[in-house]
Formats: sequence, structure tokens, C-alpha cells
Amino acid sequence: MADIILGTALAAIGAGVAVGMAGLGSGIGQGIAAAGSVGAVAEDPDMFARGLIFTALPETQAIYGFLIAILLLVFSGLLGGGEGLSVTSGLVAIGAGAAVGFAGLGSGMGQGITASSAAGAVVEDPDMFARGIIFTAISETQAIYGFLIAILLLVFGGILG
Amino acid sequence: MAEDITAIVTSMGFPSIEAFLAIMFGVLAVVAVIVVVSTIKPVLSMYPYTYPNARVRARKGRLFTEKQFSEIIESQNIEEVKNYLRGFPDYAKYIDKYPLEKALDVQLAETYDLLARITPDNSKDAFDFLLKKWDIENIKSIIIAKEVGLSREETLDLVIPFGELSDRLDTLIDADDITEIISALENTEYPQIVEDAIPVYQETGLLLPIEATLDKYLLKNLLRTVATPEDDNTSLLHEYIGTIVDVNNIKTIIRAKSDGLRFEDIEPYIFSDGYQVREWKLKDLMESEDVNGVISGLEGTDYAPVLSDSLSKYSETGSIASFESTLDKYTHETANKIALKNQFGIGPMIGFLNKKEKEIKNLKIIVRGKREQGYSPTMIKEMLI
Repeated sequence: MADIILGTALAAIGAGVAVGMAGLGSGIGQGIAAAGSVGAVAEDPDMFARGLIFTALPETQAIYGFLIAILLLVFSGLLGGGEGLSVTSGLVAIGAGAAVGFAGLGSGMGQGITASSAAGAVVEDPDMFARGIIFTAISETQAIYGFLIAILLLVFGGILG
Repeated sequence: MAEDITAIVTSMGFPSIEAFLAIMFGVLAVVAVIVVVSTIKPVLSMYPYTYPNARVRARKGRLFTEKQFSEIIESQNIEEVKNYLRGFPDYAKYIDKYPLEKALDVQLAETYDLLARITPDNSKDAFDFLLKKWDIENIKSIIIAKEVGLSREETLDLVIPFGELSDRLDTLIDADDITEIISALENTEYPQIVEDAIPVYQETGLLLPIEATLDKYLLKNLLRTVATPEDDNTSLLHEYIGTIVDVNNIKTIIRAKSDGLRFEDIEPYIFSDGYQVREWKLKDLMESEDVNGVISGLEGTDYAPVLSDSLSKYSETGSIASFESTLDKYTHETANKIALKNQFGIGPMIGFLNKKEKEIKNLKIIVRGKREQGYSPTMIKEMLI
């Protein structure tokens, strides 16, 4: 087993939190959205494409978490065999992982609930599609804030670049 | 910078930075678990309702609008009503299969059946029990059919092919009398209920006691299925079913008091308990002198203010219709309130069930209006709920 210095190990925890928490939120949100969409499709088979869109929306949080995790793994030296991180940078990496992870958790669950309601609203009134997408997209902002802060932490914490 | 952190950590009494980090992560992990669990818990309680709610919202979108009702009312005759309904898949599949009123009831029974199948486990008992309404309606129809001597085909037109008894409807229809009907009901919960009402039936020759006993069994046990709410959803279901029971009891008492009936006459038709109007209150109401006494006896419940408004109309006309429509309106408002209050739980299912029942009742009013002579579209419109 390769020797991993403490800073890199901390970055690994950050990567785990990033993908784990964001994935948890995204998974729960997508489950809720999918359950609502399946109900909508059961009543109206034409809802399949629109249901799929609503179900796919809470996927983005997991993508943000996954991207941050990959960046952390690469720039901490765990992937690609680069130089390891200092303890200070390792703590910054945990901050970045927590930012995108917890923001993704809340955002993913919220978006799932809205997406499920939107699928129900669209099957009740097809004209609601555009408005449903807008309402569902609003919950995305929290995940974007988390993702931006994570990137800023990585850049200005000296991990990226 | 690393040296600064090490110095701070050491000054705090930690032997090394690793020990400090281990404790810090421990604390953070506990905080994270608390945050995650407290965030996820309410979200997961919504999860079982997302699928059924999407399905009922789809069906809610297919309910007739006011404009569509106006178009149906403007139909020239029953055949035009049928043609109109043929344009809607929910009704089209039954219109040519059954007589019109039965087709409407079958559509409603299908809705009950759907709700019982898709509802989450914590409200399943209530919706399953609600489906027994069709068993009870079928038993009542078959008993009445035997009493008035309807043929097998005529009886078949009255029964609804839903409920637990749907597979033994043929045996029930083929029974020659009530005793044979009771035998055909063996291994169900109904023989004893019917049997208990037979002495009164034999004494009076009226079928009403048998019908009342069956209705009483349904509502009493329906209320019992939701009597101990586990969460917000079951509590709201309790409120809705409780309101239905209360409204039925109040209507019966008002009707009886307006006809001058006494406590002993009304008692067999009252469900022994209710939601806001409990057992002791029901006894008080049944002992009231007249309709005014019933309304003042309801003081302290939500029904008193709404019924007080109808009291002046009753004094003017002597008709209890305004009380009945006020109580029906109150039930619809309760369902709407629950639907809005609990959008991610049982609310949409209760809201839809109530709206569907209202739609079927209104369609039946229109059909009756078209079948009988002398009802203009305006008159029919006024009769709608």
C-alpha cells in the first residue's frame, strides 16, 4: 500500500463527503421525482418523456459532487501520483467537499419533491410543463452555490493551479 | 501556517494535530448525522405518497369542468348525455356495457378500487374498508330486488362488480329469499349483520332497518379504521371520514326532528359515535324538541356556525334542504382544505375522492333530470351540488 500523507488523507475525506452527501440528496430527490413520474406515466403514457426530464433534473447535484471529488483526488495526488497535500490544504479540501456535498443534499431532496409535484401538475394540466421546469430549477441554485464555493476553495486554497 | 495551526492545537492541550483532527472529525460526524437524519426524515415521509398523488392528480385533471357540465346539461335527452360521456375514456368503457346509472356507479367503484390499490400502507385499511361500500350496496340492492320480485337480469343491472363479494354475486342473485342470501354470505362479516335486522323487518315488513344496519356497520367500522391516527396523514383521513359520519348523523337527526320523530325512532339509524359530535352529544341531539334545538345543541362544534345561517331559510320555508346542502358544502370544503393543507401526503387523494363523488352525484342528477319530464336545464343546474 502506498504511503499517504495526512493532508492527502484529509482531501480523500473531502472527496468522500462531496460525492457521498451530494449523491444521497440526488438519489433521494431522484427517487421521489421518479415515483411521481411513474404515477403520471401510469395514467398518461405520453408523459414518459416529460417524466424522464423531471426525474433527470435532480441528477445534477450528484454530478457536481462527483466533479469536485475527482478534482480532489487528482490534485491531492491520490490519482495520477502527484505531490501530496499539506494538512492545511487537506482541511480546505474537506471544506470544499462539505460545501458541495451538503448543498447537494438539500438541493437534491428539494428538487426531487418539486419535480414530483411538477410531474403531477403536468399530467393534470399539460400547459404546466414550462412553469413546472422553472419551479424545479429554482432548487438547483443551492447546489450551484455549493459547487462555486467548492471551486473557489480549491483555487484559492492552493489545491487547483 | 501549518506551524501556527500546530501551535494553536498544542496550546489547547491536544498532544498532537492527529489527535485534534480525530476529535474534530468525530464531532463533525455526529453533527452531520444529526443534520442528515433530521433533514431526510420529513422528506421520506412524503415518499410513499408521490406515486399515488401523481395518479390522482392525473385523474383530477380529467374531472368535468363547469363548462363541460353546462354542455351535458344542455343535452336534449339521455342518448345525448351518453354520447357526450362516450367521448371520455373513463366513462366510455362502461357506457355501452351497463345501464347509464350503473355505468356511473361502476366508474366511481373503479375509483375506490384504484385508491385502495395505490394508497400507502398506513392508510390502506381505511381505503380497503371504503371499498366495502359496494359490497353493502350490492347486498342492499339484491335484498330489495328479491323483495319486489325483480328478474335475474333486472337484478344484475343493479349490482356493481366491485368489492370483496364480486366473485359471489351470481350466487347471491340466484338466492330465492333473504335466508338464502344470508347463507350465500357465509364466511364474510355480513350474515350476522343482516340476521340481526331480520326480526324488525319481519315485524314491520320494511327493508329500511336492514339497509340502516348495513350502512351503520360500514360507517362505524370505517371510522374505527382511522380512530388511532399514527401521523399527520392518518389524522387528516380521520378528520375527513369523521366529518362524513358526523354529517350523516346530523342530517338524519334534522330529518327526523323535522318529521317530529322521537329518540327511540331515530336511535337505530344513528352511528353510535362520531368525530366532533360524540356519543353523548348525539344522545342530546336526538332528545332535542325540534330542529332549532338540534342546531343549538351543536354549539361548540364547527357545524353550529354553518348551520345557523341556514336556520332562517328553514324558518321561512320549512324545508330542511338548506341544512343538507350546507352540510354537503361543509364536507366538500373540509376535503378541499385537507387537499391544500397536505399536498405531499394524503391531501390530494382525499380531495380527488370527494370531487369524484361529487361529479358522479351531479351526473346522476342530470340523468334523472333528463329521464323525467319537465326539468329545464336551468332547473337541473340549480339542483347540482
